[in-house]
Amino acid sequence: MMQPNVAVLFGFGINCDHETKAVFELVGAKADRVHVNRFIQGSAALEHYDILAVPGGFSFGDHLGSGRLLGNRMRFAMRDALQAFVDAGKPIIGICNGFQVLVKTGLLPGPSESASPDFVQRGSLSLNDSGRYEDRWVTLEFDPDSPCIWTKGMTRMDCPVRHGEGKYIMPSEQALDQLAHNHQLTVRYADPTTNPGEGLTDEPLPYPLSPNGSMRNIAGICDSTGLIFGLMPHPEAVYARWLHPHHTRHEAPTEANDDDLSGWEGEGLQIFRNAVEYVRSNR
Amino acid sequence: MRDVRGDVVRRQLAADHGLEVPQVRSITGFLLNGETSSEAIQTRVDDLFADPIIEHGAVNTLLLTTNAFASKPDAVITIGFKPGVTDNPGKAATDGFLTLFPEDTEANIATYLTYVFYGLPATVDVSWLAETLHNNLIERAILADAAMCQRQEWPELHYPAPPEQVFIAPQSVNLEIEDAALIDLSTTGLLALNLEEMQTIQHHYRDAEIRQARKSVGISPNAPTDVELECLAQTWSEHCKHKIFASKIHHVDRETGEDSVIDSLFKTHIMKPTHDMQQEVDWLLSVFHDNSGVIAWDDQWSVCMKAETHNSPSALDPYGGAMTGIVGVNRDILGTGLGARPIANTDVFCFGPPDWEGDLPDNLFHPSRVLRGVHAGVRVGGNESGIPTVNGAIVFDDRYIGKPLVYCGTVGIMPRNLPDGRPSHVKTPVAGDIVYMVGGRVGYDGIHGATFSSLELTEESPSSAVQIGDPITQKKMVDMILEARDLGLITCITDNGAGGLSSSIGEMAEYTNGCEIDLAKVPLKQAGLSPWEILVSESQERMTVAVKAEDQPAFDALAKLHEVEATPVATFTSSGMFHVYHGETTVAYLPIEFLHDGVPQLQLESEWTPPTLAAFSPPSQVDHGQLLHAMLSRPNIASKETWVRQYDHEVIAQTAIKPFVGIERDGPGDAGVIAPIHGESHGLVISCGIAPRYSDIDAGAMAAAAIDEAVRNAVCVGLDVDKMAGLDNFCWPDPIESVKTPDGRFKLAQLVRANRELERVCRAYRLPCVSGKDSMKNDYGSGPDKISIPPTLLFSLFGDHPDVRKSATSDFKHAGDKIYLVGSSSQELGASEVAVMLTESGESQGIGGQVPLLLQPEKNLTTYRALSSTIHQGWVKTAHDCSEGGLAVALAEMCIGGRVGAEIDIDGTGSGDVWGRLWGESLGRIIVAISQENEEAFLAAMKGHPTTVLGEVTADQNLIITDGPDALVAADVEGLVTAWKGTLDLTGGVA
Repeated sequence: MMQPNVAVLFGFGINCDHETKAVFELVGAKADRVHVNRFIQGSAALEHYDILAVPGGFSFGDHLGSGRLLGNRMRFAMRDALQAFVDAGKPIIGICNGFQVLVKTGLLPGPSESASPDFVQRGSLSLNDSGRYEDRWVTLEFDPDSPCIWTKGMTRMDCPVRHGEGKYIMPSEQALDQLAHNHQLTVRYADPTTNPGEGLTDEPLPYPLSPNGSMRNIAGICDSTGLIFGLMPHPEAVYARWLHPHHTRHEAPTEANDDDLSGWEGEGLQIFRNAVEYVRSNR
Repeated sequence: MRDVRGDVVRRQLAADHGLEVPQVRSITGFLLNGETSSEAIQTRVDDLFADPIIEHGAVNTLLLTTNAFASKPDAVITIGFKPGVTDNPGKAATDGFLTLFPEDTEANIATYLTYVFYGLPATVDVSWLAETLHNNLIERAILADAAMCQRQEWPELHYPAPPEQVFIAPQSVNLEIEDAALIDLSTTGLLALNLEEMQTIQHHYRDAEIRQARKSVGISPNAPTDVELECLAQTWSEHCKHKIFASKIHHVDRETGEDSVIDSLFKTHIMKPTHDMQQEVDWLLSVFHDNSGVIAWDDQWSVCMKAETHNSPSALDPYGGAMTGIVGVNRDILGTGLGARPIANTDVFCFGPPDWEGDLPDNLFHPSRVLRGVHAGVRVGGNESGIPTVNGAIVFDDRYIGKPLVYCGTVGIMPRNLPDGRPSHVKTPVAGDIVYMVGGRVGYDGIHGATFSSLELTEESPSSAVQIGDPITQKKMVDMILEARDLGLITCITDNGAGGLSSSIGEMAEYTNGCEIDLAKVPLKQAGLSPWEILVSESQERMTVAVKAEDQPAFDALAKLHEVEATPVATFTSSGMFHVYHGETTVAYLPIEFLHDGVPQLQLESEWTPPTLAAFSPPSQVDHGQLLHAMLSRPNIASKETWVRQYDHEVIAQTAIKPFVGIERDGPGDAGVIAPIHGESHGLVISCGIAPRYSDIDAGAMAAAAIDEAVRNAVCVGLDVDKMAGLDNFCWPDPIESVKTPDGRFKLAQLVRANRELERVCRAYRLPCVSGKDSMKNDYGSGPDKISIPPTLLFSLFGDHPDVRKSATSDFKHAGDKIYLVGSSSQELGASEVAVMLTESGESQGIGGQVPLLLQPEKNLTTYRALSSTIHQGWVKTAHDCSEGGLAVALAEMCIGGRVGAEIDIDGTGSGDVWGRLWGESLGRIIVAISQENEEAFLAAMKGHPTTVLGEVTADQNLIITDGPDALVAADVEGLVTAWKGTLDLTGGVA
């Protein structure tokens, strides 16, 4: 089977590069950790890759606003390569700090019509209302009608958030309405007591169900094509069931299935598999 | 739009001072020192300095004068760093500025924060307010009070030009002086050397051969240079040489009549047992001599661990001190073998009570402020480095007001062998290798850290000993060095910590027996540093790395790619000499042997007389249910969730048992478990134990309790007890008898007893100590106001976990599960949490009595092994260790984790009375719960081990505890949750 090539960006304080590479490999891709400067200096070429992942971390220490400085490096030094990558219809994911980078570069949410990226910032991610960086598990619910190729078939999952600046903000209700209309509000924080499929709401959920006070409980958005996706929570950190805080509340493997890890796949892996399968089916 | 930075200040004032301010707003300021015109910057403000969606920006205009701040505030406070202090946002801003204006190559940016207060009560003194918001050791604050705000006189900071540094050429220091003058020289120069050590140095320069050799290299033949004296002081410091642990101790025991001599506590009680165990197992790869201890984890990977303390700096600047603590110990891992990757952090803090209302000695911060600062430093250091904090503890005691303890630990992983075949835990330098300084530059910050931490804290403690870490510079360096390692470019590596280059290159030079350093090549933060300052500065984020000459181009290219500064500053030789140049001039010329082995052994006196304490006398009438609520809200027991949740504990996607467990993910985790290889369930357990209160009765019992707690915690999650290793981190008050320390003999006897117990218990547990550290001057002041910390051993443990899918956690799982006590309770309430609480409230005479003892550790080990096997079988999914607060608190925590009730009968659980069995802190006890279908198999496996049925998990929300027919506790679980979670939530909420 065809093995898509994934570029997992790292350097300058990105720190989820190892696990992001690992999850793509677990679903059959070939993934490289590529230092940002290798693209800028030209010792690596973005066009040779099928998928770009901007992992989580603390690029430049989040100073001057999370994602701002790395976003600028990409916006000014990798502009043409990124434009060509997007124009070629290749998927991009930004997780946590990577999402912040994609928002600050303007790749997310991007222009409203299917168009080439214009690198204009339209939204922002600001400090959590609590004022605190926190690591906590939240419940996410996905918009089933989202064009996002990364989240096909997903309804609900538990997932950790680990950020201090995850409050998604847009300057106007109209701007949010526009995204909602296009089903670009791909994933949102949900109340776990609601039924799966009925958790999406515009009404702000209380802390800590919404860990940051995001407008309309937004956890992640996609661009109008559905190829570029960013989210604050960390689906790569749910690649195995043993990473779920409740795993000891369920049965341990028995001798019969001891060697079989397949039953232990975590819910987050599907996001990465979706993109790999998208690339395979579009080749 | 919400101003969260302002909200944080508003909530903190409410939480710490009960001061309600309706609104606080914030301004981030950038002070540019560069050539670019303000017109040019004006067009790019929204690209860099302000977020176009959420912020206002202005150039050359105070935002306070714009429409963004139309209404008049009541106070304005602007805080910036003092000149020369690390300004991380400023550094990032400079980097970002150069992306936009690459031609302005010399540009530098400093930052400040302005807080704007609305509705501030008129009674509040704005100067006081400013004091609470900044640390004048490292920051400056200017302010406008209400009248100034009316007149629109706004505080304005200017670019903090670093003070001029005056280069002083090396001087020779005459040591042919009276003894009193030698002592005076050591004291005034912050050398922290005693008379015998000063005399040893004096004698060195009287040797005719030495004088001849010195003459031949053109350095003052008869006297040390200031560079040499400083270098010796750093290398011979207590901090670097552990002179107390290496000393010859005359020990007298007034209780038993023993009169004996111990030649080095370290060699006798720590090193020897581990070396003996090394004969019997094949997985102890590297112990004691490297920056951390290394064990083989599987055929492909080895793991290592190190813990350090950063107490003195954290007392002066809690934020910066703690941050340099965590990023510093990360570098110990990076500097292990040929370089290991840090994959997990542990943080254990000891503070004064957060609600302290008594007096504070001069120059000391309130414990709540120390807690906030230390926590923030470790949070930023760990989180920004991308290393999960998987385990830790926070301990409170009045005496830690004098000196907080900030233990930071890090676990690392490395391949057993590098791609080029070399085992990665072995350093391979040869003479001729080029020595690089990699990472940050050298500055005036951090001069005298090693010697300073070897002295007690005083009001005059120097601010230059405090630094602020820069995690991003370090992260870039870590990325680069691990790539260099895998490319086979590194022959030797070590961290630049205490003692700076003098220690790092000096220690590495022992491998080849010599080095030549040129201090003129060392990149500086600012010109003008004198040679001795360059050599001993402890400026952060630096590694010392040796590469072969032919590998230099590849190493340089990698540094350039990662934007890491790497400068060759030295060469290894085999000359036997530590030879330091500044340009052409020799400024230090010391024999390697003298530098490392020349320090004379201390001769110390130790005398043990058991302390006499009023016995714990529990009240005859008591409501144990009420007592349980009070105990759960004790800072030592209460949930630390607010603080711990702010650490990233699962980056790297490997943390299988997190600090929080249970249905609501807020129950206490006993130990961290990680599965570090993605896609595999093979795990590693990380735990700790600490019991400083027991030192009040016997520091030996304290040590045994700490070790047992670490093992017990790890067993609870499924440790393989046959493959575990430990770290001993001793923090002691000064144990050397002197005018300042009249009770030095007793404090040294406490150290002797702790070490003897460490050896006894570790041998019984087959638990080798592979690394450790000691910090021996944890006192504040002198005379009647002196505060000495309780002798404190932190015991950290890392060990194998065969399969993380077969783990247990402390939360009760399902109604109907059977609850058992493994181990048994004795009447051991001495120095227990309940004794301390009731003594503080006046309900007990004292805390004296029997302290928990570990009488037969060999038996405990077999019980632990049996229990672990039931977890590995998947039969036991619930286990929790009993420590502070005994059985009652442990059971309450298990109910909280599961949000379920339990019916418990403590009859038959041991020899103690009801106090001993309910609240006693006997060691070796673990509470487990088992589903009924696995009960039989569990009992069969535990046959021959003390295992007593306690009761059953219930669906209703009540914890019911009885002692046979006597009802003791009937408590609603939600009430327990409230009691447990309230005390340490000092956030001021989220509103």
